[in-house]
Amino acid sequence: MKTFGSKTRFMLALSTGLIGSIVFLGTVIAGQNNQGPIKPIKVDAKKAELGKRLFFDQRLSGDAAISCATCHQPDKGFSDGLALSKAYPGSKGFRNTPTLINTATRKNWFHDSRIGTNLNDVTREMITEDYIMNMDMRLMQERLKQDPVYVKMFKDAGYGEPSNGSVRKAIPEYLKTLTSRNSPFDKGSMTPAAKRGYELFKGKAQCASCHSGANFTNDKVYNLGVPENPEIWSDPMRHMTYVAFGTFMGIGNIMNVRRDVGANILNPKADGSNIAKFATPTLRELKYTAPYMHNGMFNSLFEVVAFYNHGGGEDKNKDKNLKPLELTFGQQKDLVAFLEALSGDPLNTKEFVWKEKIPTNYTAIENWRAVKN
Amino acid sequence: MKFAKKISGLLAGALITVATVGIVHAGSDVPPLAPLGDPPIPADNKLSDVKVKLGKMLFWDPRLGGDASTGCVTCHEPDQGWGFGDALSRGYPGTVHWRNSQTVVNSAYLMKLFWVGAASSLEKQAPSAAKGGVAGNGENDVMEARLAFIPEYRKLFKQSFGTDWPLISDAWKAIASFERTLIHNNTPLDKYLRGDKKALSAQQKRGLELFNGKAGCIACHNGALATDQKYYNLGVPPSERWGEDGLAQITFRYEQFAKGVTQKMYRKIKDDAGLYYRTKQKVDMGKFRTPPLRYLKYTAPYMHNGSFWDLTEVVEFYNQGGGENDFTDGTMAKSKSPLIKPLGLSEKEVEDLVAFLDAFSGEELVVEPPTLPPYAPLPNPAKN
Ligand code: HEC
Ligand code: HEC
Ligand code: HEC
Ligand code: HEC
Repeated sequence: MKTFGSKTRFMLALSTGLIGSIVFLGTVIAGQNNQGPIKPIKVDAKKAELGKRLFFDQRLSGDAAISCATCHQPDKGFSDGLALSKAYPGSKGFRNTPTLINTATRKNWFHDSRIGTNLNDVTREMITEDYIMNMDMRLMQERLKQDPVYVKMFKDAGYGEPSNGSVRKAIPEYLKTLTSRNSPFDKGSMTPAAKRGYELFKGKAQCASCHSGANFTNDKVYNLGVPENPEIWSDPMRHMTYVAFGTFMGIGNIMNVRRDVGANILNPKADGSNIAKFATPTLRELKYTAPYMHNGMFNSLFEVVAFYNHGGGEDKNKDKNLKPLELTFGQQKDLVAFLEALSGDPLNTKEFVWKEKIPTNYTAIENWRAVKN
Repeated sequence: MKFAKKISGLLAGALITVATVGIVHAGSDVPPLAPLGDPPIPADNKLSDVKVKLGKMLFWDPRLGGDASTGCVTCHEPDQGWGFGDALSRGYPGTVHWRNSQTVVNSAYLMKLFWVGAASSLEKQAPSAAKGGVAGNGENDVMEARLAFIPEYRKLFKQSFGTDWPLISDAWKAIASFERTLIHNNTPLDKYLRGDKKALSAQQKRGLELFNGKAGCIACHNGALATDQKYYNLGVPPSERWGEDGLAQITFRYEQFAKGVTQKMYRKIKDDAGLYYRTKQKVDMGKFRTPPLRYLKYTAPYMHNGSFWDLTEVVEFYNQGGGENDFTDGTMAKSKSPLIKPLGLSEKEVEDLVAFLDAFSGEELVVEPPTLPPYAPLPNPAKN
């Protein structure tokens, strides 16, 4: 973690409270009534436009080689189509890149829910994290000040001159524009199979107890017994990234860990019962975001549904409410049809994507000695 | 450096008439030039063959840096005088550095490292190089994790430091140990000062006279290392690149920001304030450490921002009484050393002095580049 501009430990403390309050399955079928469309979020258009350019700009990473969009690709629902994400050059990722669509409606972020404050902090984390963008934000600020387009955009957005602080505001403003629209579910145009699937989702299959609310997540963490992705531990470039992450997060005995401990970092328990809990993801836009789960272990929605039908995976601390569902093959297909009906229009138009060329080098400021820095 | 060339042309005529101005009668209160012995070895980081071998590999290894592209050797190239042959050093990808890359040869003898002495030992210097935003841009946890996945390193760290897993702090110790083997102390001058009177030519001997006398170099370049390790403003002009290159302008401002100058100063400053960043004293603006002079032949360009491409330019610069920068003319400060005055050296004397400077360099220090060991998966602990 870059020392400048990062407060991850502090943020961890803020989100620990979440873990303690896991709602018991079955007692509440939460949010069933408000599973309607995601309400568009009001944004400041100029700030969001600025955030959009920043999101697609490689110069926001330490060696100017990758941008947010390298991993969060518009055509892939702002994920990357890989089981495990890429990383900053020199490293490789150990988790699946989540979609950013509707991320502004979440209460906490990342597969382990380690940030529970706001997208401003998430943005800083992404920019400064060694294996994500490895950027010293002071250098980033000076790069932005060198680009006349940014100087104007920051000013027009009411931010004054380019600064770290405004970057961390403008990108979240842009992320707020990424909301689902026009899914068959929202438009009321689901197929009969999808409708049957929805009934199962709310009823027999009990999916809605965790996948609740308009964004189909209760923002809580559970152990489903998702199998480990062996590549994390067999590919040294991934394993070492996990070791670096774990060292920073204070995971004990890190050299012997061969399991992504997930949300255990927030609230470690001696008996290991918090190990391998992961955040409930949104179920919107799944059509674009395969493979699935925190480690990309499932390639298709049918595999995911089959996994639930089986009662989840193998883990001694698996959530007790996961039981074999005894769904027929047809019911499983209906459930998949429903999940597919939760995907809307791709957000890959000009409204969401910065299409103009972003320069990769910098022009000199003229009359440099005479102008103020 | 174009600036100095122009000035010296202009002043040449005038200087000849300024008879004795600039003769410094130093030498009485400063240590004389002396042959260089062995470097000090700190008690808490003794040399060993295996440690030096490891340190050499690490010096070459770009995995000790952010994106695994930029190792120490990238900016300290053995065939570029163990520095970097451009006025401003190359930087981490996407950046340029803002100072000239110093040679690491003989850095083992220095009390403080860097142009303004910002690091107090080689062990402390290495991490700031590997982590600096425009140098290695690495982070400890990532670099340490990478080392653990290189079986050959696990073995060499264990042999050197007794640890099961490599510690990043030990990596710096190993690199420091390797640097302590990059010694250049058998130059013609060393031989001469040890008694071999034939080691210097007649011209070089005249140059030595000038160095100790009329040219006054000895006032600062004294003792066995040819440096007093103190800081002076000679009036080396600001880098021209800052006015012309967007990338260099970014780094220039970043350095001000990173070094914590006041907002007011950040807005105004257009030149490298040198020692000021450490002391925050106005009198220290524009001051840089007197460099040691050994290995000079291989380390062009010269000065903290590489203003001069050859030693004749350097000597002409001194002959005209140094130069001007933002800290000599009162723009920011007036800190030019009073020791720097026009010297009134004739053209022949300039040649003699330049010939003498050559005597600070012996054979080029060539080493066989190491083979870097690959990553490998870690065995599963359960199956151990
Ligand atoms: C190298 C790939 C990569 C890059 C570049 C990247 N991300 Fe991410 N992003 C990820 C991964 C992987 C995760 C999940 C991390 C985890 O769970 O530990 C993530 C998580 C997120 C999340 C949390 C989503 C959620 O719902 O939990 C947000 C928001 C986010 N990224 C935004 C950004 C922004 C903004 C940028 C650019 C400043 C960016 N990312 C750059 C890979 C990347
Ligand atoms: C106990 C809470 C819980 C229940 C019940 C539950 N899920 Fe999940 N779901 C999760 C969690 C937690 C994850 C993420 C697990 C991971 O990343 O390893 C997840 C992941 C998923 C994913 C992958 C999404 C992605 O983007 O990777 C799908 C699809 C999914 N669930 C569908 C369902 C369906 C269908 C049901 C009902 C059969 C269901 N879930 C029941 C908690 C639950
Ligand atoms: C991107 C280029 C770059 C890289 C990489 C780099 N250096 Fe340097 N090095 C420089 C520059 C430029 C200076 C002078 C900087 C200053 O004084 O501010 C320097 C100065 C030094 C000095 C001081 C010498 C003296 O006379 O005081 C030492 C020693 C040194 N570097 C060793 C290293 C080691 C060891 C590494 C690897 C861990 C390394 N450098 C990596 C560019 C680099
Ligand atoms: C007042 C002290 C002082 C005196 C007197 C002095 N020098 Fe220097 N010398 C320095 C300092 C300080 C630097 C570095 C300045 C900078 O980079 O801004 C330097 C730099 C140099 C360099 C460049 C070395 C390198 O590695 O870049 C050479 C060569 C040199 N001096 C030779 C001489 C000669 C020859 C004389 C006599 C004519 C002389 N110096 C007199 C202090 C002095």
